[in-house]
Amino acid sequence: MNLINLLRHISLKHVRLQKAQLLIAVVGIGLGVAAMVAIDIVNVSVLRSFAESIDQITGRAALEISGAESGFPEALLERVQEVPGVEYAVPVIETNANLADGSKRAVMILGVDVLQDHQIRNYSLTDEAADIPDPLLFLAKKDSILLSKAMAKQEKIAIDQEIRLQTVEGIKTFKVRGLLNPEGPARVAGGDIAIMDVYAAQLAFGKEGRIDRIDVSFLPGGKLDTMKARIQQVLPSGYTVDTPAGRTRQVEILLERFQKNMAFTSTMVMFVGMYLIYNIISISVVQRRKEIGILRAIGARRSEIITLFFAETCVVAALGSLLGIGLGLAFAKLTVGFVAQYITDVYLQTSVTSLTFSSGMFFRDAALGILASLLAAASPVLSSVRFTPLAAIRAQSSGGDGFILSRNIKLASALLLALSLGLFAAYRAAGPGSDFRSSTVTVASAIFLIVGISLLTPAILQGTMLLFHRFLSPWLGVAGRLAGINLQKNIGRNGVAVGAIFFSISLYVCSASAMHSLNVSMFDWIDSIIRADLLISSGSPLAAGGAHSIPMPESLAGELEKIPGVRMVEPFRKGYLTYENKKILLEIFDVALRMEYCPGMFAEGNREEVIRQVPGQDTIFINEGFATQYNLHPGDSVVLPTPGGPVRFGVAAIAVSYSSDAGVVWMDVHTYRRHWQDTLVDTYEVLVKEKSEIPRVRQAILDRLGQERHLFVLPALEFRNEIKKLLANTSVLFQAVNILVLLIAGFGIVITLLASVLERTREIGVLRAIGMKKNQVAGVVILESALIGTLGGLLGSATGLLLGWIAVEGFFRLDYGASIVYHVDFSAIAWAILLSTGLAALAGFYPARRAAGINIVEALTYE
Amino acid sequence: MIELRRASRKYQQGAREVYALRQVNLMINRGEFLSIMGPSGSGKSTLLHLMGGLDQPSEGEVFLDSKPLHGITDNELTLLRRRRVGYVFQFFNLLPLLTAAENVGLPLLLEGLPFSQVKSKAEALLQQVGLSERTEHRPDQLSGGEMQRVAIARALIANPAVLLADEPTGNLDSHTSEEIFLLLKALNDQGQTIVMVTHDPKAAAYGNRILTLKDGAPVQDIAIGEPVA
Repeated sequence: MNLINLLRHISLKHVRLQKAQLLIAVVGIGLGVAAMVAIDIVNVSVLRSFAESIDQITGRAALEISGAESGFPEALLERVQEVPGVEYAVPVIETNANLADGSKRAVMILGVDVLQDHQIRNYSLTDEAADIPDPLLFLAKKDSILLSKAMAKQEKIAIDQEIRLQTVEGIKTFKVRGLLNPEGPARVAGGDIAIMDVYAAQLAFGKEGRIDRIDVSFLPGGKLDTMKARIQQVLPSGYTVDTPAGRTRQVEILLERFQKNMAFTSTMVMFVGMYLIYNIISISVVQRRKEIGILRAIGARRSEIITLFFAETCVVAALGSLLGIGLGLAFAKLTVGFVAQYITDVYLQTSVTSLTFSSGMFFRDAALGILASLLAAASPVLSSVRFTPLAAIRAQSSGGDGFILSRNIKLASALLLALSLGLFAAYRAAGPGSDFRSSTVTVASAIFLIVGISLLTPAILQGTMLLFHRFLSPWLGVAGRLAGINLQKNIGRNGVAVGAIFFSISLYVCSASAMHSLNVSMFDWIDSIIRADLLISSGSPLAAGGAHSIPMPESLAGELEKIPGVRMVEPFRKGYLTYENKKILLEIFDVALRMEYCPGMFAEGNREEVIRQVPGQDTIFINEGFATQYNLHPGDSVVLPTPGGPVRFGVAAIAVSYSSDAGVVWMDVHTYRRHWQDTLVDTYEVLVKEKSEIPRVRQAILDRLGQERHLFVLPALEFRNEIKKLLANTSVLFQAVNILVLLIAGFGIVITLLASVLERTREIGVLRAIGMKKNQVAGVVILESALIGTLGGLLGSATGLLLGWIAVEGFFRLDYGASIVYHVDFSAIAWAILLSTGLAALAGFYPARRAAGINIVEALTYE
Repeated sequence: MIELRRASRKYQQGAREVYALRQVNLMINRGEFLSIMGPSGSGKSTLLHLMGGLDQPSEGEVFLDSKPLHGITDNELTLLRRRRVGYVFQFFNLLPLLTAAENVGLPLLLEGLPFSQVKSKAEALLQQVGLSERTEHRPDQLSGGEMQRVAIARALIANPAVLLADEPTGNLDSHTSEEIFLLLKALNDQGQTIVMVTHDPKAAAYGNRILTLKDGAPVQDIAIGEPVA
């Protein structure tokens, strides 16, 4: 009851009279929560969209059987159908094509057994096709295709109309026999889907005699584990029998790094938000110290004051969280398309049609926002009752500085810094595969470092101010002198503001340096692997990356070689294989040819060993990530699944690659074709005889082959730039978060300076009374602000450099499993200091205006 | 009702210890109006703080209504301030955001009483101190004298055993000061025990007993008249 009394009669009055401060607090918390919510929604929506797509596409199938990426012999279908307990086992071809006309959009092609598939999946045709095509007629005509109604509408395609699709066999014409209502599989890929008969699809997409998947349903009473074991028995090893949910899990594993990055970013923003809350509550406690003293003097218990501040924090945090959730939804809506495109480009095709946000997420995010706020508020709230009522009434503002500058705090800081360095040293000393090599250890090390330096900021500010008085202040006149004195007078509060800037800048410099290091390393790597003069792909200019690629036939190599000026044509194929439940990236090329013009980057072993051991043999080379995970070295061997059964491959060397988290295996094209019976090609790399001929050869290829298939022929430089642009997109996401972080820190400065101006009302009145001009008063406040910003910026930059190193050595090496050389991003540091000083000076404008506008007579009587 | 036995209060000033009060023995009876006088730094305010539980003695004992104020928990001391002691400060110490009625009612609001109940009592007290027209005004809308009246009303709302006033007119003009002294005198006449710190002999004369301190120890204790009850 008395809490309600206090909230109503004390807190509510503060709210009414200090709306600006409340607004800043609510917006600050809101921004922190918004970033967290947006990232959360986008993450969940992306995964949900994958799960839904998989559910829609697998229908009632209880299990699905998959083999090599390139498909497996359809003969296996019969074996599965004969397994006791199997109700239906239907073949599926799942591949990509592009519309050759109109928007040229990517279309997912589902090849199914028209006579049986309705037992597994629901298809419903629109009324326009009331005369549902006779399945036999549909079968008889190999050019029959069904389109989703949504896509047909967007592309203005009608029933019985012919459409041209870019396929592995070149541009082919199909006839639309019906339109699918947006149900079941027709909703997959945002409706960009077409359905064909499986045998027609085999022909059109170069998969004669092969299928991509078998979907299986059980007779009543069939138990999942029993059925799985029975089916596994009739299949050669290397095949995966999994539930549709298992496939979702595979997607989750594939997106693990992306999701982890997003989660890390969201935690980072929340931390900054917490720092702001800490700042706001600290300032509030300082401002209300006298009020606390009076309340304590007339009989308010310590616990009542603490409860009051926590209750206020709760209310502000709840408002902030509500605002944050609203803003987060808006941010998510704005960014989800961008993120989906990024995932499509880098990982696999996705299209997020709706955002996932449940009431559970709402309550969890609101609770997280409030909990984080309470946690951040704990220290200043508990400090609010550290003073005796008398000391508080006398508003001995410097009273708090003793504690924050005490030996105990310095000792705690030293302990945290030692712990941080110790943890990281132990992390580095622990060998690969050790339990100690986890991201938790690096995160703990980074947090200890940040908190350790945070605790030291007041002492550093004090030291800096001594230097300032000695060297700088004489040059800055009375404004400089006063600014210095003011900063020194309340080391505690100003230390918090320096801390807020330090914190944001350190995260900014850390993420910029880590990104810069990653980009430089990746760009070096890209330059080392992409040495061809021209790169030819179909369906997407970046066939090496996402899902849009439409493979090309082996025969195209011969046609390319005939073009005058072409010196050499080398095929590149990309696929996945399942190794210990992880999808390992398999990259295939003509190793002998490739090694002629492409040096590669080797961590163990060398180019000569690869040339000697790999071409045409059951020998591979692997990337560092794969080698580290399974403790492999040159000379070792590894058993990999192939369509013909498991095969033991020797390891010739270990090279650098950033292509996949799970691991990369490189195989010679001849070995691959022998085991996989797959001759398709994703990219042709072309070397020309004379470099000056590149544009002419490019044009000749387009003239000769561009008519029959939609080809992208990119000069290597252009291709490299495309890849780099893609990588830069990740940085954009981080840059956006960094700006948000700086913005929140800016709010922290405004609050600090406002409190400072308010506390000095009387003093400013005296200065104005004895002749200080308005602009001089404003100048003092802005100078204080800029000094806070500069110190925070310098401290943050130094710490950010260390954090960046920890991130590169810890996270990236762990996540990418690849050598990344740490590169300091000097431009980011210059920006950081410029931004922190500039932003701080800008944040000082409002308090400065307020200080300059003070009414002298009122200020002199201000209590 | 208030008793100090060999009570001392010392502070640390750098490396040396400074005694603000030294071995004070004092007994104040119910209904007394004690004026404490002495030069600056003589320990007047410190003595008042010990009596009101705002501070605790470094040595010795302090009792209020025979209950010890030393060696008890902060919570017990806080409740005692809330329920048994009324404070009036030199600088009023009103909460600037609250109205006069809210300021007066604050100790009862802390007890958890609903404001409707608190408000009528606060208004009655404001009427008693002559501010019935100013109940909804905030401190910045009141004169110094009015603010001190509000502070006195606040000190009285919990029916305290003792009203402690620390230089209550130190910030007021002579005319207003006299009004405050008369008000305190009237309260004492109604039976309220009052202890007032002042450096003004004229003000001290409103009490019925004057204690003079020097260098932290009583040097004179004179009774002017008989206590009321």
